[in-house]
Parts: sequence; C-alpha cells; structure tokens
Amino acid sequence: MSEKAFVQVRDLKRVFDVSKPWLNRVLERQDKQYLKAVDGVSFDIRKGETFALVGESGSGKSTVARMVVGLLHPSGGTVSIDGVSMSDQAASAERQRLRKRIQMIFQDPYASLNPRWRVGRIIAEPIRAFGIIQGDAAIETRVGELLSLVGLHPDDGKKFPHEFSGGQRQRIAIARALASNAEFIVCDEPTSALDVSVQAQILNLMRDLQEQFGLTYLFISHNLAVVRHMATRIGVMYLGRLVEVSDGKQLFAAPRHPYTRMLLDAVPDLAMIGKAHEGVKGEIPNPINPPSGCTFHPRCPLVFDRCRVENPPVIDGVACHAVNAGREAA
Amino acid sequence: MTQPVLSVQELTVEFVTRRGTLRALDKISFDIARGEVLGVVGESGAGKSVTGSAIIGLIDPPGRIADGKVVLSGERVDHLPPEQMRRVRGKRIGMIFQDPLTSLNPLYRVGEQLVETIQTHTDLNAADARKRAIALLDEVGIPAPERRIDGYPHEFSGGMRQRVVIALALCAEPEFIIADEPTTALDVSVQAQIIALIKRLCKERGTSVMLVTHDMGVIAETADRVAVMYAGRVAEIGPVREVIKQPLHPYTQGLMGAIPSITGDAARLVQIPGSMPRLSNIPKGCAFNPRCSKVFARCHVERPELIDVGGHKVACHLYDQAKVPSDKTEIAA
Repeated sequence: MSEKAFVQVRDLKRVFDVSKPWLNRVLERQDKQYLKAVDGVSFDIRKGETFALVGESGSGKSTVARMVVGLLHPSGGTVSIDGVSMSDQAASAERQRLRKRIQMIFQDPYASLNPRWRVGRIIAEPIRAFGIIQGDAAIETRVGELLSLVGLHPDDGKKFPHEFSGGQRQRIAIARALASNAEFIVCDEPTSALDVSVQAQILNLMRDLQEQFGLTYLFISHNLAVVRHMATRIGVMYLGRLVEVSDGKQLFAAPRHPYTRMLLDAVPDLAMIGKAHEGVKGEIPNPINPPSGCTFHPRCPLVFDRCRVENPPVIDGVACHAVNAGREAA
Repeated sequence: MTQPVLSVQELTVEFVTRRGTLRALDKISFDIARGEVLGVVGESGAGKSVTGSAIIGLIDPPGRIADGKVVLSGERVDHLPPEQMRRVRGKRIGMIFQDPLTSLNPLYRVGEQLVETIQTHTDLNAADARKRAIALLDEVGIPAPERRIDGYPHEFSGGMRQRVVIALALCAEPEFIIADEPTTALDVSVQAQIIALIKRLCKERGTSVMLVTHDMGVIAETADRVAVMYAGRVAEIGPVREVIKQPLHPYTQGLMGAIPSITGDAARLVQIPGSMPRLSNIPKGCAFNPRCSKVFARCHVERPELIDVGGHKVACHLYDQAKVPSDKTEIAA
C-alpha cells in the first residue's frame, strides 16, 4: 500500500445497545445486551478505485458505509478522508469543506427521493445547501446538465419521482450525488432493488462516470457477481469483522479465507448448469452472542483449537489462523 | 408421450380496471413433465407470479382467467368451484412463497401448522400426523425435529423457516409444487442449501416444480427447462442449457449479457435500452419491439407466435423463415 490512501478506516467499531427496557431487565434479571455490528474493521481506499464490501445480511457492511459517510458515529476507531478525520472535533471546519465531496447512493430508490419534491429540486438541493452555484437560472442549467449526464432528459426535472421507474430513480439519485461535485461516493446496494437489465444500465453508468470524473466508490453489495464486475479491491465481511481483503480478480481466482471460499462456492452462476454445489454448512450465528475466538469457527472446515479461543488478526489480507499457519489445504 | 403433470394452454388473465382491461397474461402455454423443474424467469411485471396464482386459482377480482385451460394430470382445474379448488390446493399442488415469515402463522407452533395441513388432506389421526410432521421436518433438513416441532416460527432463522414452508408444501405429497421466488429473501449460503434441497426432493419424490424467480443463476442450477417471460407472454422456452448458452430471442440474449458473472470476464455489461412496458401500454405486434436491436417492419404489426427451432421454442419473427440466421449470437460462459 505505497500509494497514499484517500479514505483510511482504522479499527472501526460500532456497538448497538439492544437491551430490553429497564423494567424488563429488573424483573427478568437480565443484563444489558450489546450487539457488536462492526468490530475492528480497517481498510484503505485509494483515489479513483472501487472498494467493495461483500457479506451476507448482518455482517455489518451497511453499518460501515454509514459510519464512513458520517451518518452514524463510530463507537471506536477512526475514519479519515483525504487526511481529515471525520470524528476529530478540531478538524470541524475542514470537515465541513469535505462534506460536499462525499455523497451516498442508497438501496431503495423509492424511499430515498422525496415524493413531494420535483426531481429538479431534489437534484438542486446539494447545490443550494453547499452554495456551489448562485442564481436560479444557473442552478437550473446545471440540473439539466446533470440529468443528461445520467441519461435522462433535462425536462425530466419538472416531473415528480413517482413518474419514473426504479432504474430511472436510481439515475436521479446518482445525479443528486454528483450535484455537489462529489469525489467519493458510498453506494449501499445501489442495484439490488432493480431488475437485471436495468441493473446492467446502472452499473455501466456508474463505471462511465467513474472514468469521466475519477470518482472513488465504496461499493456495498451482497451480490458477488456484481462486486466482481465493479470492484478494484474487495473486502469480505463476516459478523462485523473483515475476514479477507484482496484485489478484485485475485479474490475470485484464489480465495484464501475458508468463508470466502464457501461464499464463492454457494453463488448460483450461469456457468453452473446442472452442477451440484458442495454442501454449505450452517448459517450466520446470532450476532448478539457470537462464537468465541474466530466467529467463523463453528462452520469452518479448517477449524483447530486455536480458532475457538483467539480472534485471528488480519495478516497479509486474511484473518484466519489456519491460513496463516499454512494449513490452507485445497 | 406420457401425460404432462401440468399443462397450461393459451392461458389469459385479465384485470378489469376503470382505465380499461389490462392483460397480465396473454395466451401462455407450457407443459411440465413428471419430476421436471421448469424455471420461469423474467423481470418484474413479466407475469411470472400471476402465472403461479392463476394455476392455483388464486387470482382475486378484478382479475380473472379470461381464456385458456390449466390441466393437472389430465384433469381441468381452472374452472373448478372454489370449494373443490381449495381441496386441490395443498393436496395436489403445493406452494412455496418468497417470504417464509408471512407464509407461516406467527401465533401457532410450526408443529400445529404442519399437523393441521396433514389432517386436512389425509385421514391420519393426530398422533400419526405428528409423527409424519416430524419425519417431514427431518427430510427437509431441520436438526432435532422432535424438539423443533414445538417451536414458533420466530424461533427459526430465515433458512430454517423456508425449510418449514417446504415441509408444509410436501405435507399431502402433491404431484406439483409452485415455488415463487423461494430463495430471494435468503442469503447466498442459505440459498444454496435451499436449492439443493428442492433438487433433492424433486429427484427422490418425482415431484414436478415450477420455479419462479428473477435470478438466472438459480434457474441455471436448478431447472431442467426454462421459460423466459416478457410482458405477459412467453418469449422463449427450452432446455436450460440451450436457452442460457444459445439464447435465440433478442430479449433473452440481452438478459444473458446483462447478468454479471463470477466466472466470465466482460468489461461491460450488455445493456437493453428502456424498460418493460406497462400493462396499460403494451406495444402492438411484438411486445419487445421498442427495445429490440433487430426490429423490422413485421414486428410492429404482427404478434410472433412460439415457433419450434430445434427443440427449443421462441416467439420471434427472426426465426420464422424456418432457418436460424447465421449471425446467431452465442453468449460465452
């Protein structure tokens, strides 16, 4: 990692209090319960690359995304973007300037656009909020430009979101993200609510825009095929921890962590006509009460004594005792 | 030729609304043989789920079956009175829906729900029905079924709940099961387990399955044949290998290229411009003509019928001259 990282995430943690109400705890003699949604995640994102986080539901990938953009406060650890810490009080002025360079695209294009606002106003909101362009006429021209950029007609700004299909709405969300000249866009499952033919349109559009503007993406998805298509580098999450970080193609060609291998083996793919999968064992355990040591150990084929007690550190991109001890027999 | 378990002939479903009659299904026909898994794919609004509902007679007004037949093992079931249809459902046609939490009653233990279904459709007594329920739970891969049978649905994880729903569908040993997006709500690792389970049950019991999904990968692994639907019509139907490797219909070709693969290496995904037409606004002629790259005059006027092209049927005028054009695009695996 010689190049300077644009986004640095260090030992990020987030704990949610999922305790029952006070009275229940007293009557039922229960302690407070905590859910460690994200537990010590560290990664770097270089400028202009697409870093993807994959994992099954409950693995904490969306929580990481929300902490990176600042929608959630971390319980521990730091996020710094372009050298500015997102949690440091001293850097608040710099952080304000940084804000407009970070945008987010959400999963559900039906919920992320205000149904009572016209599309033009939705896209103009970041421009007005950050005072990027003054004057209504200039803003309107800019909104028109943004709409054409994402493949819509400039006149579409006069319509309301309900007049658009899911794919078109996601285009509007992308136009809004670009409105403040953002450089870093966090995309939380941007295509999982869309049909495949529309998904292809959106993924192609996102790649084109990345080339055109040198955008940096943090791409969250549970769909490994989509991630493979989009990502330069990939981090695999399991129960709030990053178990493997690897170059995009490398991860699919030579997965190292047993969980990554299991996940890749489970993906239904067009090339797998009529073939049977190797049996996938078990399910994600309850995150409120995760297994000791390496949280994957109850499902792991390479498990040994050490895994049950000690949480493996990330060494050389993989967090697994067995792999690090050279026991990764194929 | 042996009799198909299910035969759908020219089935048409219409919804009468204030703004005119919408045709959700437009003369669709297909057969499913014994022990066969027919995959039905299409994007949202293609009519996949309506097909399933129409077969089990669960089209609610203002929707109605306007034309066509549904024949189950030689017996017509689409015009049965509701009371008789109720006995066909569950007994002869099993159902697995997308969301396992909403298809189980949260207030009853899973055992009670299984026993109730078993007793409705067979004449077993309570004790035998319970034994059978335990055997079914064991068969669908639920560990410690003797204990789990007394659990409530919320005590099961998503994958385990879907197994319970599959057990429910199997209660009366139906000859035919409709699985409507059975794995969509599940994570990939659990999805693989459920797919394996459905395949195993088909093989062991000889049950036929209509698997409705939008996920081509699931179809590729599970189905024997696949029907691709577009705007309420069947665009292409054939053996799964042929449809995926050598799709004929321009829509299927686009769809295959649009799917990112974990093995292939496409720099860019194939894009189909536009989106599925609304039911109120289906184009004249071939419904796909505004989005089709190979459109010609005839497509705008005349609706293509399914024609046989080497064991695999396609509804496209391109193939009507009894020969397949030589520029047939193959989608590399």
